[in-house]
Amino acid sequence: MQFPIKYRRSLFGFTLTVCAVLATGNAIAADAKTEALEEQAFKQAAALAAESVVRVQTIGGIDRVGQVLTGTGPTTGVIVSADGYIISSAFNFASKPASVLVQLPDGRRFSAETVATDRLKMLTLLKIDAKGLIPAVAAKKDSVKVGQWAVAMGRTFSLEYPSISVGIVSALNRIWGKAVQTDAKISPVNYGGPLVNIEGKTLGILVPLSTRGSGETAGVEWYDSGIGFAIPMQDVYTTLDRLKAGKDLQPGLMGINFRGRDLLGGKPILDRVRTESPADKVGFKSGDLIVTVNGKPVHRQAEVKQVLGSLYSDDTVTIAIKRDDKTIEKELTLVAELVAYESGFLGILPGRGPVGPATAGVEVRHIFPGSPAAMAGLKTRDRIMRFGETDITDAQSLLSLVSRLRPEEKTSLVFVRDDKEQTVQLELASIPDDVPAELTSSFIPVAKEDDAKDDKKPADKDDNTDADEEEGPKTGRFNVKMPNGEHSCWAYVPADYNPQYEYAVMVWIHPGGDTMEATVFKQWQAICDRRGIIILGPKAQQVSGFTPNEAEFVKDALEQMTEKYSIDTNRVFLHTYSNGGKFAYQLAFKYREQFHGVAAAAAPLRTRPPENDPDYRMQFHLLCGDKDSLFRNMQQTVGGLKRLKYPVNFTTMKGRAHKYPAEEETEEIGRWADCLDRI
Amino acid sequence: MKIIFVARMLLAVAMLTAAPRMLAAQSAGETIKSVMPRMVKIFGAGGIRQLHAYGTGTLVSAEGHIITVWSHVLDTDEVTVVLANGRRLEAKVLGAEPQLDLAVIKLQEDDLDLPFFDLANATSASPGTRILGFSNMFKVATGDEPVSVLHGVISARTRLTARRGAYQVPYDGDVYVVDAITNNPGAGGGIITSVDGKLLGMIGKELRNAESNTWINYAVPIPEIRKVVGEIISGQYVREEKSDEEDNPERYNPFDFGLVMIPDVLYRTPAYITSVVPNTAADEAGIQPDDLIVFANDELIQSNRMLKRELGRLEGGDTLRIIVKRGATLVTLEFPVQKKPGS
Repeated sequence: MQFPIKYRRSLFGFTLTVCAVLATGNAIAADAKTEALEEQAFKQAAALAAESVVRVQTIGGIDRVGQVLTGTGPTTGVIVSADGYIISSAFNFASKPASVLVQLPDGRRFSAETVATDRLKMLTLLKIDAKGLIPAVAAKKDSVKVGQWAVAMGRTFSLEYPSISVGIVSALNRIWGKAVQTDAKISPVNYGGPLVNIEGKTLGILVPLSTRGSGETAGVEWYDSGIGFAIPMQDVYTTLDRLKAGKDLQPGLMGINFRGRDLLGGKPILDRVRTESPADKVGFKSGDLIVTVNGKPVHRQAEVKQVLGSLYSDDTVTIAIKRDDKTIEKELTLVAELVAYESGFLGILPGRGPVGPATAGVEVRHIFPGSPAAMAGLKTRDRIMRFGETDITDAQSLLSLVSRLRPEEKTSLVFVRDDKEQTVQLELASIPDDVPAELTSSFIPVAKEDDAKDDKKPADKDDNTDADEEEGPKTGRFNVKMPNGEHSCWAYVPADYNPQYEYAVMVWIHPGGDTMEATVFKQWQAICDRRGIIILGPKAQQVSGFTPNEAEFVKDALEQMTEKYSIDTNRVFLHTYSNGGKFAYQLAFKYREQFHGVAAAAAPLRTRPPENDPDYRMQFHLLCGDKDSLFRNMQQTVGGLKRLKYPVNFTTMKGRAHKYPAEEETEEIGRWADCLDRI
Repeated sequence: MKIIFVARMLLAVAMLTAAPRMLAAQSAGETIKSVMPRMVKIFGAGGIRQLHAYGTGTLVSAEGHIITVWSHVLDTDEVTVVLANGRRLEAKVLGAEPQLDLAVIKLQEDDLDLPFFDLANATSASPGTRILGFSNMFKVATGDEPVSVLHGVISARTRLTARRGAYQVPYDGDVYVVDAITNNPGAGGGIITSVDGKLLGMIGKELRNAESNTWINYAVPIPEIRKVVGEIISGQYVREEKSDEEDNPERYNPFDFGLVMIPDVLYRTPAYITSVVPNTAADEAGIQPDDLIVFANDELIQSNRMLKRELGRLEGGDTLRIIVKRGATLVTLEFPVQKKPGS
């Protein structure tokens, strides 16, 4: 699968190259003398800067960080003090090497100590025991102009000559005010090296950065694309003393979300203010409108991010908000970590009636014993009409209200029983971390041909009959070929599938070397029939297992399924076993709008999951045998997820080694899956 | 894609028509004008499983000898060559040197008098030199359209330690690494020249850099292939078979020198020494337990595996020079490699 990725990548590179040629058309059309002079200038600029550019080599460390196979090759660093401090890109140390070596341009080799990492700008400071070095000269930040020449340098290929790539400065203050952008080719070949101007002064330190992610390897996917970034050298020198102190610098957080996701168009109105966050401490509330940041007026969400994006924890920022025509100005001290978000829990399962136009309220299908709903006296078949101040139209609207409140928050609720409205007060609880021992499945009647026809408008009738006669949605166990011709899935749809009702989807991510289709089918068929679950079993292209690149295909397969069948998107979950876990977790966290649960057996999570976010509900059910060598790792996974306040159930499979769950445990997963829409 | 294509065409036209007056050396516009008729598009085998069925070639004689990369595209009886003016000719593979990833093909037509590059005039250049790359990448040029031109600079001249998929690339000589995205599907066999028109290198196949895990853009310097091209054309070329054993010999291992390494549990277990056997070469040289071997004969040792490979290459009578990391300092040690009894 590496080939098509590269194909796309280089096509992209090609496009940019052509654009670059057009943009610098002058350079091409210029006469030969100018061309020769410019070439000379590149070489001289590089020669001037070269004495501060060192080679960095690492020994030991892990192969993969996230999805990126980390290189083992040499990388680059830039001298920032005569007494041996060297700055480099944090990317070069993503593999957590056991040992770091630095080689100076004169060939001398030193063992280096990692002093600290700047996690906001992704730089790492090294120290070697040397004297009389030549630090890089910073170009003045306000002198940098878009369009000026920029030469990217690395010292990976040969020690004598630094590698050179020439481009221009494409933009300033990119990635929320952090970086200079260039179209010179930036890649692991020169990460950590300098971007210099035509005078040989350093504009910045080359790092991979991304508008989306923030890890050490985020932005690597843009290597050599003509989109490269450098942290301004002046900023590097400004923060140098803080790094020298040996403490990692963290991005500063204030603990707010904006209303709506329209970063560029949306007004900076606070949606959620995280409890005990800096914003909460100064009394900011949901609904407040930010009007100035550090005295600068702001009108859009992006403008706020632009200022906050380059601040560290412990930095202070002055923010003025507007509330009911009053302006309140406060000084906040940013923090490195926020208290994890925990959603509240009411304690009901919403009814799953036939698909139809929205009605008023939500019918209660099940009450969890001991839950706030149970204590308030709610019963099954009651219809919840209002929650707090808001009328309820469907389960989704109730869920989004409840999950935005925290446990122990008090609210009122209006419901209808026997045509009479009643109001109760209740206090929300935490989402329980066990699976009910009994849970009656929601009844799905067999679809009658007459029913189907009656529900349709007369105009549709002809089409409908045609479709029925030709090819209705397939049921039973079958194979799905993906349009790309390379991938395929198996699927199971309950034989009595009724399109009038919504089904859950279990996406089965098999472990490497075995699709386990027969086992999974055998243990799940009855559960699926009873609880209305569709199985989608994508197959890895290579026997050895899924590769990160196959994520998109799984998403496509799921989308194809969603188009053909009636599916409750809140109950789409991933199920995996053993080393299938890595890919399953990757899917879960990459496509948070698609997946809302992970049921993983003997599959510990090895990467740091994102923050719990009520906008993307995610629940976990983990299982592991206590004789399994992974048992402790699984316990750690559970602990880690709980710290982030994700709802997690953990089942110990007593006396079991590394094995797929037995029938009683898959039954339990089935019940858990049947609770994915709990509110 | 269409916009890009149009843009490329406009560019080609602009470049060809706007050649300015010149004083000394040749300008980029003039270089492009003179190079284009010497480039050809090659169509051959492929087209399935994402294997491209096209490539690029460069004329090196008036009679129609063309150099290109040795690839699956040539794996057919007859390949079709399209000249810059759109003329379509058949060609046959004259010879190939897989070790250099090089092939020479010959147009099957008599009395040709085509513009060509004289390989004898090829030169070399240093990092920072501006280059132009010419190739039939992605097959965007059709009919009588000229191939695509990219611009950039030479990033480095270095040895190629690249791999393709899981395979080691056969060529391990010097290459020019360039900062233009030259190595695309179908670009192999194209060329890079300096902006003033001096022939520098032949663009190679797509390759991943084994050290940084990134795709690399490179060209093989013409002097590296000149001799073989001449021999293939004159019919004197004889391939030398390299034996496989030479690649990964296992003549020595750490224990031969008295080194006991920590167990190799990870793929990248660093080469830490657990203990040193008394009265052995390592002991006499002063190696201590807990030393970390970081270089062996100037090769960076990132893991036990690499140490084994490096020691395996030694021969009796060599000197082994190793650098160890002891605490925070680096210590250089040297000792002779004894001939193994029985070898």
